[in-house]
Amino acid sequence: MSGSLARTDRLRALALLSPAYLWLMAAVFLPLSAMAFFSFLSDVPFGGRDWQFTLDNYRAFLETPTYATLLWKSVKLGLIVTALSVLIGFPCAYVLAKVVRGRSREALFLLVILPFWSNSLVRIFSWAIVLRGNGILGSTVDAILPWDVRLNLMFSPTAIVIGLVHSYLPYVILTSYLALQAIDDSLIEAARSLGARRRTILRRLILPLAAPGIIAGAVLIFVPVVGSFMEPRILGGRRGTYYGTVIEDQFVAVFNWPLGAALSFILLAVVLGILALASPAIRRATL
Amino acid sequence: MKRFLLTSALVMASQAAAADEIRVLNWQGYGTDLDWAIAAFTEKTGHTVVHEYFTSEQEMLTKLRTNPGAYDVVLINAAYTAQAQSEGLIAPIDSSKIGNFADLDPALVGNEDLNPAGALHGVPWTWGLTSIAVNTADFPELPTSLSVLWDPALKGRVSIRDDGLEAVQFAAMATGQNLNQITDLEAVKARLTELMPQVTTFWSSENDWNQFMAAGDFVVATYWSGSAARSIANGLPITFIVPEEGALGWLDGLSIPASSTKMDAAHAFIDWMVDPEFYVRWDTEGAPATSNTKAAAALPETSFNRAVLGDPAVVAKVQFMKPVSDADRETYLKLWQDLKAAQ
Amino acid sequence: MTNRFLARLGRIYLGLILFFLYAPILAMAAMSFNASEFYQLPFRFSTEWYERLWRNDEILTAAWRSVWIAVVVTVLATAAGTAASIALFRYDIPGKRILQVLLFPPIAIPWLITGTAMLIFFFGIGVGRGTPSVIVGHVALALPYVIVVVTARLSTFDRTLEEAARSLGAGPFTVTMRVTVPWILPGIVAGALFAFAVSFDQFVVSYFLSEPGDTTLPVLIYTAIRKGFTPEINAISTIIIGLSMAIMLVAARYAKFGGER
Repeated sequence: MSGSLARTDRLRALALLSPAYLWLMAAVFLPLSAMAFFSFLSDVPFGGRDWQFTLDNYRAFLETPTYATLLWKSVKLGLIVTALSVLIGFPCAYVLAKVVRGRSREALFLLVILPFWSNSLVRIFSWAIVLRGNGILGSTVDAILPWDVRLNLMFSPTAIVIGLVHSYLPYVILTSYLALQAIDDSLIEAARSLGARRRTILRRLILPLAAPGIIAGAVLIFVPVVGSFMEPRILGGRRGTYYGTVIEDQFVAVFNWPLGAALSFILLAVVLGILALASPAIRRATL
Repeated sequence: MKRFLLTSALVMASQAAAADEIRVLNWQGYGTDLDWAIAAFTEKTGHTVVHEYFTSEQEMLTKLRTNPGAYDVVLINAAYTAQAQSEGLIAPIDSSKIGNFADLDPALVGNEDLNPAGALHGVPWTWGLTSIAVNTADFPELPTSLSVLWDPALKGRVSIRDDGLEAVQFAAMATGQNLNQITDLEAVKARLTELMPQVTTFWSSENDWNQFMAAGDFVVATYWSGSAARSIANGLPITFIVPEEGALGWLDGLSIPASSTKMDAAHAFIDWMVDPEFYVRWDTEGAPATSNTKAAAALPETSFNRAVLGDPAVVAKVQFMKPVSDADRETYLKLWQDLKAAQ
Repeated sequence: MTNRFLARLGRIYLGLILFFLYAPILAMAAMSFNASEFYQLPFRFSTEWYERLWRNDEILTAAWRSVWIAVVVTVLATAAGTAASIALFRYDIPGKRILQVLLFPPIAIPWLITGTAMLIFFFGIGVGRGTPSVIVGHVALALPYVIVVVTARLSTFDRTLEEAARSLGAGPFTVTMRVTVPWILPGIVAGALFAFAVSFDQFVVSYFLSEPGDTTLPVLIYTAIRKGFTPEINAISTIIIGLSMAIMLVAARYAKFGGER
């Protein structure tokens, strides 16, 4: 390849990349760097307040067991929700990509995401109607089963997981679908005609080829769920306090942006760290 | 003739200047944005009203700081007025522009929190109590003490607001302390620790409260008097109780941002907001208590605000909330987060 | 187990998942026809909330604003995001990993913090509030989703196809539009649907960056929660979901975007 061609390639790459990344730079990265700067201050640098540089906000995380406890609780929640979403969503995507044919596939594809064009807050309160003791689910189960049951899922960790899995399931269904649909059926046929068993085909052929889709979906679920606070607060009752809650408190209940910012960047670092740790394992699993 | 022309020109000029659009920053659904009230104000003065809403006091301050000139009237809880004034966010009130000013309760007008730096910076508008409300159906006999929250028989049927400051203040009251001068934080913490297993969920908005109470998720919970009045007006079978230990009192004022360019229209709007005609109608839909003595006297005997908050025995038990320092707020939040995280 | 049997089992499973996804939506729609303001059961039929909605200009205007802002955001974010994904896939760009990692902060950091940061930053550099600022913010938050989703689809793309087309004399633009884009179309559609969802449900950015009076539906809902929103909100949400469903099913009838096979 000649140098000039590489240069035109570079220019093309730049032209394709710059709209998205310049946009992100102006609207997200620069504002977030301001927040990152605040996280090293003792107070916000406006409104005539005294401030100086400090590491106290990061130290506060290390010195306060509550923050670490809650972060761990949030990470666990993220892992559970992600795992459940993948386990539930992948078979669904498989059916959509490999079993359903023709026009109905387009329609189903759209129907999977449509619930997310409703407001998340309204959706959470709607879950409350379904899950509470005398709510829709409890009443239905009680009416169907001959004996007396009291099913009350509201205000429990289960309710949080149900609400979150519901909110994020479409990500993994659609991204898995995108990868599964690209697998040539004749490949699967060939494997089958060579006598491979279903489990072998799934493990050696389908999962590795669908891996990029599953991983993309899992990442899009795990990353935001760790910082979530709305579903836990409304559905989780007394136990609904998570790491996202204490971040939000610094902006809403008290005026301590520096600490809120520091807690957010610790969250970001931990999330990225987990993704980095997971990536070799994922790569090995899919080879 | 010349003089007549001059006066008419002046009248016309003042009317032209009067056709302002004022921008009000408030909680949504908190009186200033009632359709009929705005329509009546526009008819009276020619000014139109646009609203913007906030969801917490901290965000209200953030909005004021970052949007100079954007607002003309802002609702500020008296506990935050001094902070807004010290940051130069709000201007002193010109009481001569408020026709109803003479009828306002002098005790509220003179409230030191509304008068930072020796000048009135917020017109007292509404006040109310934070206390407890119970589902009447579950309480044949109404409780008279805050200790109902700790009643073992009600385990899992209690709720308090998800707010560190309020939780600490309630526990302070329950331990017999002055809620503006909490000396024994350990006692507060111990009392709240006992409360936690009682709680089914925390509430954070009237929306949660009404739905959870309507569904029977809890039967006794802390609540705001103005909200209780509205929930009762909307048919929830609840009773608002001021227990023997007392109740938290709060006072909301209407202020004018220092950067407002429509001071006259802003004062006119505040004047309408403290007008008895406005308040008496608002009260029928469920409102907090008014600062206007004439408006309060004009309420029907059965009105919640007259029957409950107008009772001198109740008023005697109220401890009004004073401003809380940032450091104290953070201490209370910390305590609250620790307790919640331990669940 | 026959293949037919498995296929039927699969369809039943898909049906169950759809039921799960729509359970709260059905509850939401049911409550819009329930007389109780507080979602109280037992159910009593009423069209009161629709009548009140019809007279409620504030909600209708806000809903309309939210829709058109979301459409603009979807177009911008999908176009820019797809272009970036293609570049990340096709060219060996130095620092590619960093560019990919940079997509995570806007997803990981709670929107309240990002929104506050935008407010302070825009205020600091003198960019005022208003609809353009809102759109800028929404697009930025939607972009990472589009890029991640489109990239997931691109990773299944066989590069030799592009090379084959090029060897047949097609220019890079033609290759992109005639070979690459049709292949990744399902990914682009999925990315666009997510972008719409992100913008349509975005509260914080609209809350901080729109002018007083220019309310969007999420802002109305979130700020109403303190007082309590009425089932009018359920009514408008039900109408929006119903209309979107109708539009999408028509689109599904005539367009093919689920992939070739």
